[in-house]
Amino acid sequence: MKSVISLFVCTFLAACFLSCKKDELLDTSPQTIFTDEQIYKDPKLIIGILANLYDRLPRYASLATGNENFSIFDEGMWSGLSNNDVEVRNNLINYNFDRWRLWDYAFVRDVNVAIDNINESNSVELTPILKKQFIAELRFLRAMDYFDMVKRMGGVPIITKQLIYDFAGDPAYLQQPRNKEEEVYDFIAAELDAIKNDLGNTGSRRQANKNTALALKSRAMLYAGSLARYNNTPGLTMSSTPGGEVGIPQSKASGYYQKSLDASKEIINSGAYTLYRTNPVLGENFYDALVNKGGNTEVIFAVDYLKSQGKRHLNTFNNIARSLFEDGGQGSSFTSPSLNLVESFEYLDGSPGTLKGVGTGSNTAAGQASWIFYDNPQDIFANKDARLYGTIMYPGVSFAGKTLKIQAGVYVWNASANKYDRTEGALNSSYTDGKTLTGLDGPSRTTTFVSNTGFYLRKYIDATAGASTSALQSDTWWVVFRLGEVYLNAGEAAFELGLTNDALTFTNAVRQRAGFPANSLTTLTLQRIQNERKVELAFEDHRLWDLIRWRIADKVWDGTTTNPDANIYALYPYRIVRPGHPDDGKYVFDKFIAPRFKAPRFFRPGNYYSSIAQSVIDNNPKIVRNPFH
Amino acid sequence: MKGITYTLPLIALSVFLFAGCEKDNRTPPGSTLTGRVVYNKEPIGVRSGGVSFEIWQRGFQLFSSLPLNIAQDGSFSAVLYNGDYKLVRARGAGPWADASDSIDVHLSGSATIDIPVNPYFIITNAGFQKNGSNITGTFTVQMVNTTREMELVRIYIGPNYVLDQNNNSANVTRTAPFNITTPVTLNVAIPASLAAENFIYARVGVKTRGINELMYSTSQKVQLK
Repeated sequence: MKSVISLFVCTFLAACFLSCKKDELLDTSPQTIFTDEQIYKDPKLIIGILANLYDRLPRYASLATGNENFSIFDEGMWSGLSNNDVEVRNNLINYNFDRWRLWDYAFVRDVNVAIDNINESNSVELTPILKKQFIAELRFLRAMDYFDMVKRMGGVPIITKQLIYDFAGDPAYLQQPRNKEEEVYDFIAAELDAIKNDLGNTGSRRQANKNTALALKSRAMLYAGSLARYNNTPGLTMSSTPGGEVGIPQSKASGYYQKSLDASKEIINSGAYTLYRTNPVLGENFYDALVNKGGNTEVIFAVDYLKSQGKRHLNTFNNIARSLFEDGGQGSSFTSPSLNLVESFEYLDGSPGTLKGVGTGSNTAAGQASWIFYDNPQDIFANKDARLYGTIMYPGVSFAGKTLKIQAGVYVWNASANKYDRTEGALNSSYTDGKTLTGLDGPSRTTTFVSNTGFYLRKYIDATAGASTSALQSDTWWVVFRLGEVYLNAGEAAFELGLTNDALTFTNAVRQRAGFPANSLTTLTLQRIQNERKVELAFEDHRLWDLIRWRIADKVWDGTTTNPDANIYALYPYRIVRPGHPDDGKYVFDKFIAPRFKAPRFFRPGNYYSSIAQSVIDNNPKIVRNPFH
Repeated sequence: MKGITYTLPLIALSVFLFAGCEKDNRTPPGSTLTGRVVYNKEPIGVRSGGVSFEIWQRGFQLFSSLPLNIAQDGSFSAVLYNGDYKLVRARGAGPWADASDSIDVHLSGSATIDIPVNPYFIITNAGFQKNGSNITGTFTVQMVNTTREMELVRIYIGPNYVLDQNNNSANVTRTAPFNITTPVTLNVAIPASLAAENFIYARVGVKTRGINELMYSTSQKVQLK
């Protein structure tokens, strides 16, 4: 007991003596926090701020954030876990009006704070040239963010200064109304023009340089041009508000298209980039064009990942084909590309990409009448656009040296019924003849974590060993801008301006890389351009925004069970069992709506612009609501 | 000593549990607001899960709307606390013209209200019958509000009562313009998936150009056998 008391006294005394130093203690500068002053005098720390902002750039569907958004439109569907909260991606009754809402003013404020602080800094290390470059980069980031907001929300308030409350009791002067939609696009163009020559980073693919700014301008102006043109098409639902917060006058279309074309041409003519053509195997080449990080001549701007620095993502773990999954058992194959997308890839002779000789899957003689018996499962995809191989793994192909085992079952000849009888089994099962019944890669109608459509993703899937484990993960980069898109932007803008020859040159350049002969297109329609973008830019977060700006999303995804575009189709391969017959051992294909896909995609006119959160309107009554909500 | 060690936590636990019942729970809302969306006292059929109104109440820190979902037959019901509410017919919500006035709802106990709307087109006198391997629907389309054009009419059939754009087994569309001064007839073939049923349901809808939602007739049962 005595010792306890003495210990207590000792502690008390020690505390007393320590507290004498309290003035010094309070003056100690913090070891874990930087003050604004310290940050904005040191270029290295400012780069840290930039890195943070680059990382926070909004991305709707990408390798890391929004990976599930690849399976909610018509490029693919969900084949992962069947819990209701994820299975709903196949059963969306409609898209909620806030599904792709973005009100990213925290980002805008952080940029504005950084710009103001850099302007005020009088550190010697921060030379005027550096200051100019940093501010240019910050303004680029802000323009990127505004573009992402305007494409989702329509016109938003343009804030270029910090908003500081004066504590006088009336915040009304901080409440900015929405700018017109066209003003935001004009703001983006003006900002990019103003800063493009101040951006350094020449040759960088991870930080913005002049060409990155031009690529953003090329895309943003193309969006503005098509919004001006197609929002006003007769017979289409017009989305506009009286104040012009959404809705760009039709007369502005040509001006925007011209700006887009000029920006695209400046990139193409600069010679800084070329379409990637390193690999002589065209399908592999298209795959490499996106994932090859060493000496890639096509990529303009990407969100990079690096395993050694702990920056990685789960895209390969999530989406790799089941038989290639390295983390044991099941857990992959989240996104299954749709047959709709596969059939959008044309044949190299320019004919439409509809697959030949497929049955209906009804298991009747009539449903089997149109079958073509293929020697190998991949033969049905012969002579297709090489980008199909580069984007999608289909039956019979291999990845990382392993052949995929895609086979849904067998069809056994039934002489008495004069038709084939269908048999499907569990994954990786054998038929009584000792050969495969159902492959490990499915497709399966009900099994989770195996393709429901018969296809797997190849684009962005990492072939490195261990990339599909949750421990190692993948560090493929996410390409934001690449020359292929710029060519298509140029082609579309030229087409809309009536410059058909230029449009053909640009569009054919992209097609030639995919294996089409030179000048494969001699005439151009908007539908052709739309399909070209669908196949070239599949799974690169373009499809939704393209359909929105062309104002066809509510027609393509009209929620009707009978509309083939609104439903996700599957293609199931089967082996023929008919001993002694020449067709024995050959392969046939059935096409039907994917079994797990229940509700047709339904995009309502109210989805063209997202709803604005009620809390935003409560805080700022000057904010006007978007049409339809 | 041992007894105390064991019983003390037990007592503490039970005190917690019993006290918790007092603190955590509020009385659930008990007043029901029911009603229908009507034009000329007739309910307006809509898409299941597709149309909702907003219920607002002022006087609380959180100012946000509650959705009032309209069932496919045009009826709705919500369980709320007693109080004064504003019912807002959100813009562009249904197949009718926007109305900016909110409706005051005083709820004490329960209330039934009919919400009047101003549809562009309505369907009246819809009737369905089996005609060989087809279902034939006959109905009248009536233009109510002349500010917009009709885009199309569509007949839906399916195995369930809930029937609309999203839920149907087969549908057939007739695109405007066509004569609506006389009754319109639409045929839809009974698909193989429904051929074995004893009865199915049928419904027609009319779409106005530039409006999200269709206005539907009542879902009607059609005997196949």
